[in-house]
Amino acid sequence: MSNTIIPLLLDSLASAALIFFAAVGLTLVFSVLRVLNVAHGSLYSIGGYAAASACLFIASKQLNPYLSFVALLFSAVFVAAIFGPLIERSLIRWTYGKSEAVQILITFGIFLILEDLQRMIFGVQSFYEDTPTRLLGTSKIGGVVYLNYQILLIGLALLVVIGLRLLINHTRLGRLITAVVTDREMAQAIGIDTNRIFILAFSLGVFLAALGGALATPTSGIAPGLGADTMVLAFAVAAIGGLGQIEGAAVASLIVGVARVLAIYLAPSLDAVAPYAAMLAVLLIRPYGLFGSVTARRI
Amino acid sequence: MLAISIAAAMPAAAQEKPSSLGLGIFTFTSGPAAAYGMPGKNAADLMIDEINAKGGIGGVPVSAIYVDEAQGAQGVIAEYRRLAGEARNQVMVAALSSANCLALAPIAEQLEVPTVGWNCDTHQLLLDGKSKYMFRPSGNTVPEFVAYAAYLLERKPDVKTVAIINPDYAFGHDAATIFKAALKALKPDIEVVAELYPKLGSPNYQTEISRLTTAHPDVVFSNLWGADLENFVRQATPRGLFSSSQVVLALGETVLQRVPLPDGVIVGVLGDGWWMSPDAKANVETTKFAAAYKQRFGEYPVFPSIKMANALIYVKAAYQAAMQKNGGKWPTRAEIAEAMKGSSVATLTGTTKTRADNDGLVDQIVGVTMKTEGRSFPLIGEMARYKGDSLMPAPGQDPIAWVSTLKPEFAKTLSKPGSYK
Repeated sequence: MSNTIIPLLLDSLASAALIFFAAVGLTLVFSVLRVLNVAHGSLYSIGGYAAASACLFIASKQLNPYLSFVALLFSAVFVAAIFGPLIERSLIRWTYGKSEAVQILITFGIFLILEDLQRMIFGVQSFYEDTPTRLLGTSKIGGVVYLNYQILLIGLALLVVIGLRLLINHTRLGRLITAVVTDREMAQAIGIDTNRIFILAFSLGVFLAALGGALATPTSGIAPGLGADTMVLAFAVAAIGGLGQIEGAAVASLIVGVARVLAIYLAPSLDAVAPYAAMLAVLLIRPYGLFGSVTARRI
Repeated sequence: MLAISIAAAMPAAAQEKPSSLGLGIFTFTSGPAAAYGMPGKNAADLMIDEINAKGGIGGVPVSAIYVDEAQGAQGVIAEYRRLAGEARNQVMVAALSSANCLALAPIAEQLEVPTVGWNCDTHQLLLDGKSKYMFRPSGNTVPEFVAYAAYLLERKPDVKTVAIINPDYAFGHDAATIFKAALKALKPDIEVVAELYPKLGSPNYQTEISRLTTAHPDVVFSNLWGADLENFVRQATPRGLFSSSQVVLALGETVLQRVPLPDGVIVGVLGDGWWMSPDAKANVETTKFAAAYKQRFGEYPVFPSIKMANALIYVKAAYQAAMQKNGGKWPTRAEIAEAMKGSSVATLTGTTKTRADNDGLVDQIVGVTMKTEGRSFPLIGEMARYKGDSLMPAPGQDPIAWVSTLKPEFAKTLSKPGSYK
């Protein structure tokens, strides 16, 4: 066991980073819009497909391979710019103030449409593009060869947590978002354009989902079914952290990552249930999640 | 239920040649399993076109009705019943998923519809030996995974430790059970140091790769398939797993054209369906089929494609035999099933013999990846072709118990790596 502690810790952090990217956009959208976006997983996989397509295009044209890093980021921006305003204005807006059942039905409908669209455009074969991982190479840590890209992902996840906190606490947009989250009617009364805030916040959520998919592409395959898996995991993380809590999502990702990695190392038969067992354990003690509460609302 | 039963019984009385013959073909056309299921569908499309170009079966054109297995067992069962209720659909080619095969087998018996398991590998399918309408001309998990154990021990006789990473459902667990039982019987001092069963459809195996590496196994065995196998290979290669351990990929042939597998990986085709095997290359029909497949779908057929093509050849042969027996009349479902029983059919890659329990005896091909001039992807070399009946228990015998009775001397009677040239 002693010779597996370092790999176990590193795997937990790397796994938590990928899980965090899948969950943080969902929690942000819920925090601001009060909408549980079931289509979140599809936006994650669309980000993956977009990134893989862009990287494959770069490779096919024999362009500078380091452009693939830029492609990862810009494919997420592209997906957010297209799908964020489109989905928010066309369908999500009709769910504001409606019951959770209506929200889930509408966003589930969006999920189904997006899944079919992906199948029509990208087919059923697995997509994979690993140029970024090849460029960064590998390191041997604790007797195990790791991709340096995996270490980069851990750093990027931390950057996203810090970046979101800075955005919310230290920018005008962040203050506007906080005002809308705290009291939507009062925010409207003092002249804040809540429609604009909603589009921006939803698009930011789409960006984070697509970024998660894009960043996962070099270490994971993109295939039909990924959206549903991502959605379920993201909901588990959001529930553990407390719905709408960004720091909660980060801590919950770490808990789920550790649970899953421990299961693979020590009790492989529990691998699939480990995230949900962790969720059950946390919710039994804190039914509103680690950072959630019945009344107070924070992001 | 009564209406379905009556409808299902109708073809027994109707022996006029229909205007077309419907085949219900069950495979995955969506979801991660489609990476394995679509090559099967592609092959069916191509083979049916070829059959129709040659005048159909007994002069009747064939048309396929595809059922997507990704909808789950309940949907698959409902589709099977609906198709069986139409008189023109006389034969089902079902299914890819072993779970769906097990779910459909009793319904095939109940509705009396000849059903050809084109990819029903599970050894549990025909255990009771009472099937009249369910047939498996494509091999099963027992000969498949005993063959890997035999090949591995011949190629790497000093192996001490083995790690397993298989998908977390019946096929993955059954394969591990058979492979472990065969290893224990043929070389009792082998230790299994890790067993991982990731969820079917997992996109990311990075943690599993770390765990396998920390176990330091001499051998990593896997029957991952489809997109899962592709992802695993792509992720494990840069992390050195293929150089630190001898890797065995039971379904490795399916990714040869898509993933840069290093040399020396033990791969197989679950049966004899390698389109580049000596028997296959000697068959003009096979080379024509492979070339036509490449032209139409952009890749050479993989073994699920060959399994499907062979299943349709098996169906056609049954029609021809049944019509020969009944004086050229259009056969009933019962007559088609009767023709399948005990048949010996020349396929694209060998011969499939159907035993009294409806199980097929199919040879097993195992080899290692090696670069070959003139091909952009590795081929299978150092092949062994194991005779189908040499790795099968007798009808009615418990397969796992039979595997456990094997002795190290048994392996000496089998083909050797490199002997199939």
